Amino acid sequence: MHKLYVIKPGAAMPEIPSRFAIEAGESLDMTIVVMPGVSCELPLAVELLGEGAQANLYGVYVCGTEEKVNISVNLSHKVGHCNSNQIFKGIAGGKSHVSFDGRIVVAPDAQKTEAYQSNHNILLSDDARVDTRPQLEIYADDVKCSHGATVGRLNEDEQFYMRSRGITLKEARTLQMISFVHPALQGIEDEDLRESLASEIEDAIRSIL
Amino acid sequence: MPTLFKMENIIEDITTQEYEHGFVTDVEQEFIPKGLNEDIIRLISSKKNEPEWLLEFRLKAFRKWQTMPVPKWAHLDIPEIDFQDIIYYAAPKKESDRPKEIDPELMKTFDKLGIPLSEREVLAGVKAAEETQSSSNVAVDAVFDSVSVKTTFRKALSEKGIIFCSFSEAVQEHPDLVRKYLATVVPAGDNFYSALNSAVFSDGSFCYIPKGVRCPMELSSYFRINAKGTGQFERTLIIADEGSYVSYMEGCTAPMRDENQLHAAVVEIIVEKDADVKYSTVQNWYPGDAQGKGGIFNFVTKRGICKGSGSHLSWTQVETGSAITWKYPSTILKGDNSSSEFYSVAVTNNYQQADTGTKMIHAGRNTRSRIVSKGISAGHSQNSYRGLVKMLPGADNARNYSQCDSLLIGDKCGAHTFPVIENSNRTATVEHEATTSKISEDQLFYCNQRGIGPEEAVGLIVNGYAQEVLAKLPMEFAVEARKLLSVSLEGSIG
Repeated sequence: MHKLYVIKPGAAMPEIPSRFAIEAGESLDMTIVVMPGVSCELPLAVELLGEGAQANLYGVYVCGTEEKVNISVNLSHKVGHCNSNQIFKGIAGGKSHVSFDGRIVVAPDAQKTEAYQSNHNILLSDDARVDTRPQLEIYADDVKCSHGATVGRLNEDEQFYMRSRGITLKEARTLQMISFVHPALQGIEDEDLRESLASEIEDAIRSIL
Repeated sequence: MPTLFKMENIIEDITTQEYEHGFVTDVEQEFIPKGLNEDIIRLISSKKNEPEWLLEFRLKAFRKWQTMPVPKWAHLDIPEIDFQDIIYYAAPKKESDRPKEIDPELMKTFDKLGIPLSEREVLAGVKAAEETQSSSNVAVDAVFDSVSVKTTFRKALSEKGIIFCSFSEAVQEHPDLVRKYLATVVPAGDNFYSALNSAVFSDGSFCYIPKGVRCPMELSSYFRINAKGTGQFERTLIIADEGSYVSYMEGCTAPMRDENQLHAAVVEIIVEKDADVKYSTVQNWYPGDAQGKGGIFNFVTKRGICKGSGSHLSWTQVETGSAITWKYPSTILKGDNSSSEFYSVAVTNNYQQADTGTKMIHAGRNTRSRIVSKGISAGHSQNSYRGLVKMLPGADNARNYSQCDSLLIGDKCGAHTFPVIENSNRTATVEHEATTSKISEDQLFYCNQRGIGPEEAVGLIVNGYAQEVLAKLPMEFAVEARKLLSVSLEGSIG
């Protein structure tokens, strides 16, 4: 069962559990979207407790004013033969401050663990700030774990390519950002839902430019 | 089965293998009483005949240190250290005249350390450096417990205007330079151990490369803790003036003892406009025995500043020793277009613990940094990478790339990665990647099948894994480092 939480201004804050215990053979699939105009704290603790448990976490955040978004994920592989995958993508503009803490802990003897995490960010303005702290704590040897984190800007070569074909700079930047966050929506299986969320995010991106 | 029998033999041989540098040199030593208070600091200062300002600096640091808590944030399990139970100053007894022949004990020490023959006599003070006709192109400053024994090639270097001497000599002969730069990169109160070092530091190396001079040889410091119950607190200051270049190497060893000995050094590097400094370390302090008893606590603060535009600082370290390592060689990239690199291989085996990494603080425009860290843990050890990459608002178009890989050998050890990225400039780009894996059975099988034993195969694979970093070491060190890597991991598989 896939869970989707959208946090946006004017709507009630969805109730996101801060602790998940995943038993053998179970799977947690979750996507969290933070729209511009809301500040929030998102502490998530996931424990994989039985063999074959899985966790797939996706997150998108778009900030354009003075938001403070703190996301912290604590993903704990307590036993072996579990998989986890995390993709968090965000855009920080205005005077926003985003911080991401992502911790993966692999307990002793949790062999055959596979755990991946990525956190990619784009900084749009001089006053925005992104801090990211991906962490790996590994106490077992037969594992495959990796994390990647980047904070950067939009690719200017791509912009040039589009502008030389008559697309305005603003439109080019919008397209880049849409494609940037899109991989974090792959967890949503319902196509209609994914499309409508994607267009909502597109509007959000246009609103902060 | 005969093959099994043979395997067991090998493993037994290897696990009982001793730390190669674990000898004690029996030279007459001069000690000061145990403990730490203002009188001890005054005593150290007066023994070294220091000017008033330096004593004041020490006392100020000591007062600051007393107010500071012991840092606990590292991923390390550090037993409580009794700072009153340490001797803060120990020196081989000096004779008023230069000895007629090399003290055989000291000679043996150098022999075991593998210092080239031509340099030994100079180091031992029998010959002056200029008399030796040596083909070697390494100038050595050997620090034995609390004092620098001898610095070689001083004359050859001074012809180019290069100052390379012990820190105490620099205080006497170049007080203006020392006063101008001391504690400008690592302030006395920067952290607990740098404050302690600032209060009690005994000796170390001082190096000044004047404008536009390319240092013709590798400069090297060799640190050795010999006396029992002592700590070593050396202080190194390197200044590379405009457009100069120097490659600096550092090595260290200590005897085997059941007790833990403290090593808390401070290294400061100032890189002026267009200057280039390459700093390499092979750290091989005694790591303790297979049960985790004894070994050196290596709590070191190393920091450099790329002060001028276009300056460059490169750190390379191979960390195989010490019971506990707490070390983060860092660079402040202040000058525009300056750049810095950090290449590290950290190996932990048995019960060793290491928490090491780097900080890259980007302040100037177009600054670049690159971090490559390879951690290898075996036995019951814990190995952590901890790093900070910070882009300040002025760091336009700055770039950083970090790569941290961990290799696990055995299922009782741990490998951890704690990077922190802080970016507040929209034109700056930071990238970080980390992976954790073990030596694949396919690789081992491939080697075994071709007659390469398990131990040798691990050595081979690890050397290949660390190749990217080892390739950055000066030639003189690379050979030693390769050997060390294999030795440190012996007994870790089978």
